[in-house]
Amino acid sequence: MRMAVLIKQVPATENIKIDEKTGTMIREGVEAELNPLDLHAVEEAVRLKERLGGEITVISMGPPAARRAIASAIAMGCDRGFLISDRKFAGSDTLATSLTLAAGVRKAGEFDLIFAGERATDGETGQVGPAVGRYLGASVFTYVSKVASVEGGRIVLERAVEGGHETVAAPLPALLCVVKEINTPRLCTLAGKMRARRTEIPLLDAASLGIPDAKLGLGGSPTKVVRVMYPQITRNGKIFSAADDPDGAVRAVFDLLREHGAIEEATSDAE
Amino acid sequence: MTREYGKVTPEIVAELRGAAGARNVVTDDKDTMENYSYDEAGQLFGHMPDVVIRVDNTEQVSAVMKIASKYKIPVTPRGAGSGLAGSAVPVHGGIVLSLEKMNRILEIDPVNRVAVVEPGVVTNELCKAVAEKGFLYAGYPMSTETSFIGGNVATNAGGGKVIRYGSTRRHVMGLEVVLASGTVRNMGGTIRTATWGDHRGQRRAGSDGTLGIMTKIIVNLEPKPGKVVNLLTAFGTLDEAVDCVAKVIRSGVPIISCEILDRLSTAITCRYLNTSLPYQDKAAAYLIIQIEGDTDERLEDSYEKVGKILMDGGALEVFVAESRTESAAIWNVRQNLAEGARNYDPYASLSGDLVVPLSVVPEMVAESQAAAKRRGIEMGLLGHIADGNLHPIIFKPKDMEPHHWAEFAEEYFEELVGVAVRLGGVGSGEHGVGFVKMPIFLGTKSDEELAILRGIKASFDPDNIMNPGKVLGDF
Repeated sequence: MRMAVLIKQVPATENIKIDEKTGTMIREGVEAELNPLDLHAVEEAVRLKERLGGEITVISMGPPAARRAIASAIAMGCDRGFLISDRKFAGSDTLATSLTLAAGVRKAGEFDLIFAGERATDGETGQVGPAVGRYLGASVFTYVSKVASVEGGRIVLERAVEGGHETVAAPLPALLCVVKEINTPRLCTLAGKMRARRTEIPLLDAASLGIPDAKLGLGGSPTKVVRVMYPQITRNGKIFSAADDPDGAVRAVFDLLREHGAIEEATSDAE
Repeated sequence: MTREYGKVTPEIVAELRGAAGARNVVTDDKDTMENYSYDEAGQLFGHMPDVVIRVDNTEQVSAVMKIASKYKIPVTPRGAGSGLAGSAVPVHGGIVLSLEKMNRILEIDPVNRVAVVEPGVVTNELCKAVAEKGFLYAGYPMSTETSFIGGNVATNAGGGKVIRYGSTRRHVMGLEVVLASGTVRNMGGTIRTATWGDHRGQRRAGSDGTLGIMTKIIVNLEPKPGKVVNLLTAFGTLDEAVDCVAKVIRSGVPIISCEILDRLSTAITCRYLNTSLPYQDKAAAYLIIQIEGDTDERLEDSYEKVGKILMDGGALEVFVAESRTESAAIWNVRQNLAEGARNYDPYASLSGDLVVPLSVVPEMVAESQAAAKRRGIEMGLLGHIADGNLHPIIFKPKDMEPHHWAEFAEEYFEELVGVAVRLGGVGSGEHGVGFVKMPIFLGTKSDEELAILRGIKASFDPDNIMNPGKVLGDF
């Protein structure tokens, strides 16, 4: 079985901050980690390899520091990795990213199965995995919650859909975006970490992928961030003293709630 | 001997209301008061207060103490009530003085590397606030998300980072303390060395609230550590795990934490959290080791070195958790052990808090197990093993009456403290003495030593109204 896993390095925080002027994420001073949802994609590939044999290639697009995320996946049991990295890729939206990643996957080899996480915890789009699958001409499945079998060039899997699961069979090659319910990712062993540390991770740059510059990075991205806004969360505390006139205080609370439409006028039935 | 303490009369309550504000004084709401009658040592060790006062500020504490001192009313200071030795239980009734509302971080001073906080600040909140400014508050009791900094100081809390940073006493730079008389004293602050008496007020650390009430605490801040990884190591036997510890410490690698969990404590906590650790079916014990390095390269060298020691020492497997997600999965189990134990058995006794020299840890572990076996009780083991600080947890046999169990459990711990003392250790490493551990504590001290300690106490609190019945007993 020839498998690939697409991974992304993301900021290790739940509070992503955006530069309001440039509309891009502030990465300074924030530790990076392998996208937690991608861990499930790596784990599923490693489990399949343990069952069926084969080789797993990890592919990531990102800055040079993303090598660490690739090394983490190798430590979990993947065999080799490629880093797609070039200054020309900066500012890629999901379209340019998918095109670039798909070219990288082609460069890395031929694959029967490609795994991706449901979405990245920073961008939160969930678009890149399926788009790469389309560029590669593979069968694309999102919300995959179980791989039931892979044999004779066919895969049978389950998808988490509203209200239950659906079982799907499809020909290979296929790209699966997995949900976190599919498995519990393993911890890396010391031996795995040591192996990853000694594994060379080749670089794929813009020149090696052969994509015209116009389709790369900011220039190749039709998505433009026009403005970034934070939702305004305001809390106006107001204290109603019940010390002198408890009934009056309760009435005042009800009046305020009504005024803001939080409650409706009681009907005579309810009274 | 037990002193005659004053009774809390309606007139005194009226005075207390004047001193601390009427809404802060609770006397007739039994449900509320019951919440202040026990701590994590368990309800079996509880005692009702006559009045609960939830103070807002130092002035109120001082005014309350003046009244208590005038009428000789016992005063039991209380933080989060997460203690395990009954230190916050009002064994003589009287006033429980809760510091929960004094919960502000007053200042973070980056130049002098201190933070000034009120005692009711949750330790984790302090850690987060100083981390944002690039600092580390190095206290790390496992109850860090619930316990208050005031209680941490009062018990000289230890925890997961003692091997690297020392226990809470070392982090105390200064205090504002209200004495029994109501006098407010300030000690220490921002200076780091002085041959000038107890200049930082560190004597209060571990005093269980018997020497006054801390109303401000000035803590030392450390530079934020570099990169860290956590190694989770599974061992087929407890002995192998214990034997590796000294070798790991000796390796010269910067170790921040070294914790041990045995099979039972891991199993019950994983069940409670609905999770699992790798090798749970085979592992008799785990070590969790946190390692620091200033660069990725050095960190990798360090954990490879430690990993080799562990594998040579018979480890079944060493797992490396580097990311936030992986690290949280491991530490979550360690931090929830107390809840796991309580979920398994509400009567679980968590008050064991032995400390012995590292060289005799294997002997202490063996004796703890043997003593449990002789009594036919189930025992789990966890602890900050690199500090020689062990917490055996014991579980009530199903057919035993709860009240008998409290006594039975303390007899077990009394035997273990005897062993610890014989091995050159002590019977309380970080939980404080309170009154649960008081008989054992008194039994290990000479009359001469007790006379000195009681002399110190009397000089601050001549009528013994400050948390009486704790540590040094009634005298």
